[in-house]
Amino acid sequence: MYNIKGGVGKTSTAVNLAYLSAREGRRTLLWDLDPQAAATYLFRVQARVKGGGHALVSRKRPLEAALKATDFDNLDLLPADFSYRNMDLDLDETKKRTRRLGQLLDSVADDYDVVFLDCPPSISLVSENVLHASDTLLVPLIPATLSLRTFEQLIRFVADSQGSRPEVVGFFSMADRRKRMHRDVIDAIPRDGTRVADTVIPALSIIEQMAERRAPVPAFAPTSRAALCYEQLWAEVRPT
Amino acid sequence: MTSATRTLQAADEGRLELEAIVAALSSQYTVFTGPKQCVRRAQLDTFDRRLRAAGLTLEHQRLAAGEMLILRRAGGATTVAVPVTGLQWPALAEVLPTGPLREAIAPVTGIRALMVTSDETRRLRRLELHNQDGKTVARVELDEPASAAAAPARVSVRTLRGYDNQARRAARLLDGLGLHAVQDSEDNEPTLVAPMSRTDREVPASVLLTAALGDFLAAIRKNLPGLLDDVDIEFLHDFRVAVRRTRATLKLGRPALPEVMRSRWEPAFKGLGDMTTPVRDLDVYELDLPTMRGWLVAADPADLEPLAAHLRRRRTAQRRTLERRLRSVSFGRLVTEWEKELAQLADTRDDADQEHLSAGLLADRSISGAYQRVARGGVAISGDSPAEDLHQLRKRCKDLRYALEVFAPVVPEVPRKRAVTDLKGLQDVLGRFQDSEVQRQALRGFAEEMMAAGTSAGTVLAMGELIAHLDAEQHRAREEFDGAFARFARPASQRMMHRLGGRP
Repeated sequence: MYNIKGGVGKTSTAVNLAYLSAREGRRTLLWDLDPQAAATYLFRVQARVKGGGHALVSRKRPLEAALKATDFDNLDLLPADFSYRNMDLDLDETKKRTRRLGQLLDSVADDYDVVFLDCPPSISLVSENVLHASDTLLVPLIPATLSLRTFEQLIRFVADSQGSRPEVVGFFSMADRRKRMHRDVIDAIPRDGTRVADTVIPALSIIEQMAERRAPVPAFAPTSRAALCYEQLWAEVRPT
Repeated sequence: MTSATRTLQAADEGRLELEAIVAALSSQYTVFTGPKQCVRRAQLDTFDRRLRAAGLTLEHQRLAAGEMLILRRAGGATTVAVPVTGLQWPALAEVLPTGPLREAIAPVTGIRALMVTSDETRRLRRLELHNQDGKTVARVELDEPASAAAAPARVSVRTLRGYDNQARRAARLLDGLGLHAVQDSEDNEPTLVAPMSRTDREVPASVLLTAALGDFLAAIRKNLPGLLDDVDIEFLHDFRVAVRRTRATLKLGRPALPEVMRSRWEPAFKGLGDMTTPVRDLDVYELDLPTMRGWLVAADPADLEPLAAHLRRRRTAQRRTLERRLRSVSFGRLVTEWEKELAQLADTRDDADQEHLSAGLLADRSISGAYQRVARGGVAISGDSPAEDLHQLRKRCKDLRYALEVFAPVVPEVPRKRAVTDLKGLQDVLGRFQDSEVQRQALRGFAEEMMAAGTSAGTVLAMGELIAHLDAEQHRAREEFDGAFARFARPASQRMMHRLGGRP
């Protein structure tokens, strides 16, 4: 789950899709890479990793030791830590600095079927690592002209990267059909060459309530429109 | 995800009071008590307990709210929990929902069906232990019997990943109520096949043979219900193996067993084996069909669909005949009288064995004789030998293999295992040769039947490709024979046989 921009619905989507993946019986891990720790907060887990990001990246502490079960079957969390703000520096000190996160995840690959990486908004060494570690880059897009421009930048960034590249899949998030610009952008986005999901995640207050309820939408409002939208999105993007 | 589980019960296996449990845990946690639920728990495994051997348990839980399949690793770690509907057992793993559950189970169960190994209805209360953030840090399950005959009440503390300390703390709080840890009941389940114990070489051969024949009869009986219900094809396979071992033991035991074994029981078990052959052959063709589709070069795999349908029809007809015979009075009588015969043999052997043939001596003679027959037969095989000669040699190899198995309790273990390994190499090559021969002929026969019924040219051509592949495979096996036999007959192997009594 990645976008250069912040506040576009990355964490909400990561939390809800990870929950849906686990609900289907897939052993699922969500790594909250954002030092703001929003996903960690939503799962009521303490945003603290013993030794911080440095201990994980330098392999002083195994990734497995930092894993936390969430309240939901099949869903574990690798919590955020405020020290992740320095993860770029930690990664820079390693040998294969753009591959380290993927290497770390290899150590728990047998335990999980799906791993979600909830990334901080930026283009950085962390994002390069995420790029190499992922099969799919899910990109939430607010239906606005500037947002599309950022999406194009991101597609170029992925295309220019070395080695294996993830499939980039965009989807509209926080969409408000009452706004003409939102409708126009959604209808006009070129779909040739770039995969954009058909499902649109609307701006709904129930999604904002996640912070209050500290749970994924399908867990506390399973029949809500938002839950159905996330289910549709998951059906479009889930690994086969 | 959860990891290890600690299960506790009252010292007198009596009731557990929910109020007392909640009170004990509330000193450290906010306890949320779920509603009382009635759950039907069916433990699933294959007949030969493949999941258990792989350190897995699979439970089908039926609650009012829905059904779940829960896969756990040894020690209670929940690996996968998947909601399901409408599953009936026994069934092959292919009925499981696609995804990680099936991916974990199917390679372990293979062609064996999952069946219910135990089934009980329990009353459940689930407790969640929350910390000050409202996060669940441990789960506790109060599990009470729904009937007096069921297992006593238990309370389980389930560890959540990353919260091991909290589960330990909760278990300590429950220890204070006088509860004690219990082992998982699965650990106490007896194994299906008791390991063969070492026996003194001087015991009468009839004692060893009667014990072995009794074990084979038990295997015939155990596999019969699954065979009759057509649970999976391995029931028939294992039934046939037990019959074949019985026949081999009777043959090997001729010098030590009464004449009636030769005159009555050898033909009886041959008849029983022959009765099961048509269905087993069709099972093997059906099992091999996916592989056979991969052999096709020019034809489309879909061209083989009429063959698959033909095999299914034939199998249905043959199974009907087999079932009728296995449910008949005469088969029931055969089993009962065989059991009586074995009992009589066990009772009378004390008198008859005053000058007995010892098990060790018979083992030496049997292994020696069987080995020499294989050695002579192998040397006689030349480039011009007909397929029948290789088939005869394969039978001799089987006789030697059975001799090594039946007399395992009275021959040295290490050389015996090595001899079996050497023999297996030769048997594999001969097996591939003979199976290719038989399958080729069978495919020709099927093709004639299907052509008479108006099957398409495409299907017959595809079957022709299969025959060509089998022909090539038979040639490959024939080319490998000389090397396999040379390995079997090498001096080191001969020395090993010598240690087993099989003087070269």
